[in-house]
Amino acid sequence: MKFFSMLILLIIPVLCIAQPTQHSELKFNCSLCHSCESPTKTNPCLKACPRAEIITVHHSAEEAPGYIILDKFKNVEDNYAPVNFSHKAHAEMSVMAGGCEMCHHYNPPGRVVACSECHSQSRIRDDLRTPDLKGALHRQCIDCHRLWSSDVACADCHHENITNINKADPVDRYHPQIEEPERLVYDTDEMEGYVTFYHSDHTNIFGQECNDCHKQESCVSCHIEEQMLGNINLSQEEKHDACSGCHDTDGDCESCHKEQITPGFYHAVSTGFNLSKYHSKVECGGCHTTPKVFKGLSGSCAACHKNWSLENFEHSITGLSLDENHSENDCEDCHVENDYKNPTCDNCHDEEIFYPDFLPGIMK
Amino acid sequence: MATQNRRDFLKTVSSIGIVTAGVAATPTKLKADPENILSNERNGVLVDTTVCIGCRRCEWACKKSHDMQPGSIDDYDDKSIFDIKRRPDHTTHTVINAYKGNSISKPIMLKAQCMHCDKPACVSACIVGAFSKKENGSVVWDESKCIGCRYCMVACPFQIPAFDYHKAIEPDIHKCDFCAERKGNGKLPACVEICPVEALTFGNRADLVTLAKDRIKKNPKRYVDHIYGETEVGGTSWMYLSSVDFATLDFPVLSADTAPGVSESIQHGIFAYFIPPIALYALLGGIMYISKQKSNKEEE
Repeated sequence: MKFFSMLILLIIPVLCIAQPTQHSELKFNCSLCHSCESPTKTNPCLKACPRAEIITVHHSAEEAPGYIILDKFKNVEDNYAPVNFSHKAHAEMSVMAGGCEMCHHYNPPGRVVACSECHSQSRIRDDLRTPDLKGALHRQCIDCHRLWSSDVACADCHHENITNINKADPVDRYHPQIEEPERLVYDTDEMEGYVTFYHSDHTNIFGQECNDCHKQESCVSCHIEEQMLGNINLSQEEKHDACSGCHDTDGDCESCHKEQITPGFYHAVSTGFNLSKYHSKVECGGCHTTPKVFKGLSGSCAACHKNWSLENFEHSITGLSLDENHSENDCEDCHVENDYKNPTCDNCHDEEIFYPDFLPGIMK
Repeated sequence: MATQNRRDFLKTVSSIGIVTAGVAATPTKLKADPENILSNERNGVLVDTTVCIGCRRCEWACKKSHDMQPGSIDDYDDKSIFDIKRRPDHTTHTVINAYKGNSISKPIMLKAQCMHCDKPACVSACIVGAFSKKENGSVVWDESKCIGCRYCMVACPFQIPAFDYHKAIEPDIHKCDFCAERKGNGKLPACVEICPVEALTFGNRADLVTLAKDRIKKNPKRYVDHIYGETEVGGTSWMYLSSVDFATLDFPVLSADTAPGVSESIQHGIFAYFIPPIALYALLGGIMYISKQKSNKEEE
């Protein structure tokens, strides 16, 4: 009898945990988890859990809890007080590394699974394969932290335990603002020259997000001890990884590898096409449609705006709404030989009327 | 008295010799044989050196639970102690040493303490039975029986037992007792309990071997395919996993032969059923008899 009641007590929480909240809404193929065509409650015909394929954390870093006090296995006899873990700071930084899954390494679809649901709070237990909660949490923190700091003393994270535990005001802590470099110059030995990389241009002008380039960063990339700097031996591919998403790093070396340190890229100066007027908010790929190719695009409007014709073109998007007298004109009347920069009034008017002192409409 | 010629005597002696050799060679039950002392439920600890961070809290907890003047827990953050290799001694039953690993930031931290052999050499060597292997796996030392001969220190393949050299009166042997007292009260060994990363996994020894094999199988790049202590000197209760060859971590390279195996089989053989002593006395008696016969003849 005792055995059965224990069994029921054990099974109930397992069922509660295992039941995904929106089973029918899962975006997975049923056969990912079930081996038969129509699984039932009595015969779910479950396969071995395909963990790696179903890890999902739907929170964004902003939605995630700011801090978590790790006091699940608190004991009055402990030497140290529970840690106030700055969850949000870590969640935000994880975007540039492995994402939430770095720590939430097992999370089937549905809500976020708490560490203590798998990791036992007691060190004396039957299933020794999964580390207990104390071990799991410490490993999770220390495995990363010790990479850049050999000082992983208890007091670096814990306060001393005081008998009258008065939870010191836990406050949200954030990662300090990262100072973005304006320019980085790489002295490339193999190519005998330099790659001048304008970091802030990529984020401010080209609209790159941090994690577009910094995908699998390790904290060590920034938090690094000087002694380790000399030990980084990256392959050619690894060195180009951050650039090769947008640039052709296989064939077109000369675009980036120059003999001299180069000035920054200004679209108007470098290509003769000024973006600031109408195209400042267009993504690079909006015009440069062939991936990794940025050259060879004509500066004429028709090169991209192929569907523009006399019938459907609204002149007001240039900032100038044509008045009634001019709205029926042909493009060629003012823009001779497709010269849209220097419109002329000579075709209809005498020399007393000229652009831009006399406008054929109203400027917005 | 029956007359015996030279040929008959040699026959007797050689047959006795064969019996003696036979007895010596037969595997006899050792003092530390698993069948008669070890339980299948005996405990063990799996030390995962790839997890240990060298915080030395185990050293502190060990001293605290054995009333050995642990001092302040914060003093154990001192990493300069890793500059020299230490051994367990009369002031501490366990020590952590650092070894150079594959990564500068991650030295390999190695906890040393008594391995609690399944067939302990100290138990075999102790002439007064002060050492004993308990059913739960612990090898413990009994202060009331010890005479301070230090044979255990010579016998131990891991050089663990330490001696109170500084004490002239009632010096003790010191070594890890696998927290026999704590375990009796349903607690974990002090070092296992305090380990922040659970680098020490306590459990049934057979389960731990399965667990260790499972870890190696799942992470073949993380571990070398060897569980130190699974078979060494007939198996130990404390076992180790490592990312590098154990020889580079100063682990002695030992075969699966038990440390006391050879010596015990010779000794037990010699005294088995008291046949060899009888044979020896018979031989000596025979020689005496023959020489007496000879001298009698000469007198005649």
